[in-house]
Amino acid sequence: MSVDIRLASSRPAGADLYHGENPGNIVTPGDIITADTGFMRGHGTYMDDECLHASVAGTVERVNKLISVRPLKTRYNGEIGDVVIGRIRELAQKRWKVETHSRMDSVLMLSSVNLPGGELRRRSEEDEKMMRHYLKEGDLISAEVQNVMSDGCLSLHTRSLKYGKLGQGSLVCVSPSLVLRRKTHFHNLPIGASIILGNNGYIWISPTVQDKSEESGGYETNLQPVSKSDREVIARLRNCVLALAECKMLLFDTCIIYTYEASLKYPVKDLLKPEVVVEVVDLVRQRLELEGS
Amino acid sequence: MRETPLSNCEREFILNNIAQQRRLDGRNAYDYRDLRIAFGVSLGCCHVELGKTRVLAQVSCEVGDPKQTRPHNGVLFVNVELSPMACPAYEQGKQSEEGIELSRLMERCLKESRCLDMESLCIVSGEKAWHVRVDIHVLNHEGNILDCSSIAAISALAHFRRPDVSVHGEEITIHTLEERNPVPLSLHHMPLLVSFTFFSQGKYMLVDPSLKEEKVMEGKMVVGMNKHRELCTLQVTGQMLLLKDQVLRCSSIAVTKVTKITELIHQALENDKQARLRGDKHGFAVLVSGDKVTSNRLPTTEVSVEKTEVSMEGQSSEEDSEDQSATNNGADISDKPDESTSKSSAVHILTKGVGMIGEGGPSTWLDLPQAIEKQQKVKKRKHRPAKAEEEEEQESSEEEEQVILK
Repeated sequence: MSVDIRLASSRPAGADLYHGENPGNIVTPGDIITADTGFMRGHGTYMDDECLHASVAGTVERVNKLISVRPLKTRYNGEIGDVVIGRIRELAQKRWKVETHSRMDSVLMLSSVNLPGGELRRRSEEDEKMMRHYLKEGDLISAEVQNVMSDGCLSLHTRSLKYGKLGQGSLVCVSPSLVLRRKTHFHNLPIGASIILGNNGYIWISPTVQDKSEESGGYETNLQPVSKSDREVIARLRNCVLALAECKMLLFDTCIIYTYEASLKYPVKDLLKPEVVVEVVDLVRQRLELEGS
Repeated sequence: MRETPLSNCEREFILNNIAQQRRLDGRNAYDYRDLRIAFGVSLGCCHVELGKTRVLAQVSCEVGDPKQTRPHNGVLFVNVELSPMACPAYEQGKQSEEGIELSRLMERCLKESRCLDMESLCIVSGEKAWHVRVDIHVLNHEGNILDCSSIAAISALAHFRRPDVSVHGEEITIHTLEERNPVPLSLHHMPLLVSFTFFSQGKYMLVDPSLKEEKVMEGKMVVGMNKHRELCTLQVTGQMLLLKDQVLRCSSIAVTKVTKITELIHQALENDKQARLRGDKHGFAVLVSGDKVTSNRLPTTEVSVEKTEVSMEGQSSEEDSEDQSATNNGADISDKPDESTSKSSAVHILTKGVGMIGEGGPSTWLDLPQAIEKQQKVKKRKHRPAKAEEEEEQESSEEEEQVILK
């Protein structure tokens, strides 16, 4: 075991880390947004003494007469069509309760999953009793948000072959605001690993499955031992994602591949050290700026 | 807000280690965490820290009507408050099931054990009596809030002083704190609760579970006892069946624990009394050290650094045990540079402000066939440290030293 000791005085100051332009319009809880009473107040605001104050730390958004504050760090708020990764917390009548790092547990209805034996089967009593055989407490699944209910609870579905129970791999939890909404969230990286970027901040890194011949509704998990080189790739990817999350960089597939390439000169466990993190993410930032311009 | 559940890997890891008699923080199965009891400036205020679990108990009293069925007795209220400060899963205001269970257990422990003499709380029979109220606030939940709350409640009751009452015929005077010294409550004995958690269908048992151990437990038994070996409370929850000798063994363990804790409580009470008599600083301010900005405290851990030179001649080992305190990082590094030029340095300086103690060895986790072959090859070669900054290496580290930490 090796123990690292660091002096607090030699830690890089926070101001050095931020390179983007000032977005402006950032408020902290208690700041006065406006003293004009003609506006309607939205989420993240409250009225006090005829003035509109912010109740969360974030950016002010104005749509005609509605002022709201979108928080920078928040629990996941789902939208229809988002890809999420969740863990089954409990079984209820004809549904699974899934934990997705949002304010309330999401719901996966029995009618929204693919049962083995074809798509158009009617859900019977037998199916209800066999629910635990498909997904039990503690299992990880990838799913898509089908519906958002009035109280904010999400209704999920796994009605496609790419969703379903997740097998061997590594889960990384980051803040949901770091994952953008993109066309695809499932990426097969050229380095031999697949990554699923869940909108709720859960990122799943797994070895690439070579043949996707028959899928029995996504419930069969491949339990063959994973080779050491694959494990190293997955461990390195995990540390890269954590390094990006620490520097508050947005996560998408090209960004992660660049970080992986920039990190190759360090051993995997050194990527957890703060100095190495700052260096690697700096390289990635420069490369992204070059490509962007 | 509901908390994130433990992943399957974590759950298996904890259970496998419990099966091999290992706990995450290195304790033995029957060990308690560090217990610290502190009293506040106001009488009846007690703060107990069991590891990182923190509970604050406050005792207060007021004059009221006694119960109609018991006109000669005072009234004791016990209330346990679980707020989001303790754990984000708790909601403010709404009493969760766990909160109700805790309140009931504390009530049973204090009321049914008759530790407090209720008749002494009577002022005028049938008309006026003292209402003593114990409010227990959980400040931080790191496992085993029940034991911590019982220690806090009993210590607070022992610490509390109620206003003196004098009765002259029909007239009753309740003296203020300035007129006469307040009077302590009459506690017959100190009942304390000890929690036992069971795993794997009752095969393994742990005392004083931490938060993670509580999340994977299958059943819990709570034994309330005092140091005179009198059983006050017994409750079993969970999905397991216990054998008679398990219950008896738990109660005998509880006796030793309760005796030790009662001694600690008496010592803390005595210290507080002496400090007040001498006029010294007392209260929670004593807990906070004056030379740091934060009041967060980490326990010191002893780390022994054994250095061996892997060479053809043989192995020479120097043992260097060091006290590593998380707050003394600067001091350790500044002591070491003059020693670092000699061979017996423990700290390798990597860059400005970064040092490293010890050297990682080959991974012991992987048991894949290719991994085992590779490891055998690595052991035969000299272990080369993989450092990021090569130019900062000292002369001493050019000799490949394999440092094994025990």
